[in-house]
Amino acid sequence: MDKSQEGKMGRRDFMKATIAAISGVIGAAIGLPAIAYVIGPALQKETDEWIRVGSVNKVEVNIPSLFKTVIEKQTGWINAEEEFSVYVLTTNGRDFVVMSNICTHLGCRVRWVADKDGFYCPCHNGVFAKDGSVVSGPPPRSLDRFESKVEDGILFVKRG
Amino acid sequence: MFLNLVNWLDDRFGWRAVWEAIFLRKIPHVNWFYTLGSATLFLAIIQIVTGILLTLYYVPTPDHAYDSVVYISTVLPAGWFIRGLHHWGASAMVVVTAAHLLRVFFYGAYKYPREATWITGVFLFLIVIGFGFTGYLLPWDQKAYWATTVGTHIAGVAPVVGEWMLRIARGGDELSAVTLARFFGTHIWVLPAALVTLILMHLYLVIRIGITAVPSRKEE
Repeated sequence: MDKSQEGKMGRRDFMKATIAAISGVIGAAIGLPAIAYVIGPALQKETDEWIRVGSVNKVEVNIPSLFKTVIEKQTGWINAEEEFSVYVLTTNGRDFVVMSNICTHLGCRVRWVADKDGFYCPCHNGVFAKDGSVVSGPPPRSLDRFESKVEDGILFVKRG
Repeated sequence: MFLNLVNWLDDRFGWRAVWEAIFLRKIPHVNWFYTLGSATLFLAIIQIVTGILLTLYYVPTPDHAYDSVVYISTVLPAGWFIRGLHHWGASAMVVVTAAHLLRVFFYGAYKYPREATWITGVFLFLIVIGFGFTGYLLPWDQKAYWATTVGTHIAGVAPVVGEWMLRIARGGDELSAVTLARFFGTHIWVLPAALVTLILMHLYLVIRIGITAVPSRKEE
């Protein structure tokens, strides 16, 4: 093809190498920012914050009570309102256990059914006991718990 | 080992022959003006890549289009860079495509046997203009809104069919959510499909027929 004897680089090989190098630089100059651009939102961590859930007076002893609250959340370019629900359980009226209502199996919402004394998940029949432990079905672990505090009779939970 | 694999693949795909046809073809002694076509192709690829990236975040609705553009430019990492490339690449695309067209025109390179190459090229130029026109509306800011108001109004002054063309372009009497959505759909589906199809035809013709030498007065 060309006269690149004695290990000397011929003109054709030099051009090939130069074109490859320039293409590589252009590819990296666009490719690397593109990766940052695509994965950027995924790297954003949710900030921990105390969410006001409601008055502890509404919690009945020994019955998981559902608290719903609406939180504002900036998702991308939309300021969305998101419903945030937790079950609150107390055995003595002073100490409160705050449980997530999200099934640990695949993320459906569980519901407390008083008649049957358990949390039931509608998706795959996961059943949890009053304290959130698994009774039957596919869930791998108990319902998640939130850190909580009571200030002036108002219950706050920390969402992490 | 690696060479074996490469040879095995070439045996099936025959891509070496394709590679040679594209990159090792014989060309006349030419000058730098002949790089304008490749420059256009390069810009088209940049526009396609950055445009696809922009669609990951952009939404074509009046209530969120501008917000999503601001989000891309100010919040996302390198978003300003991707959008900047697409924005300036668009202007460069029009300039370089026009320069390429003028080179072909003044060198008489559109003549026999290259008429089909020229005709596909002219359509490609119109498509580039169409990209510019539809893309200009998408940020949905004041400049975009009024530029498109004026642009579609110009279509409206054409005799007989003007009113009809204006209504089709806007999807109604006025600029609306319908206008934004159809400009977006045209910008990211209709025009790219036409662009890619015509670029492939154009390149096929360039390779099949070859390119012209620089014209000279001498009899050869």
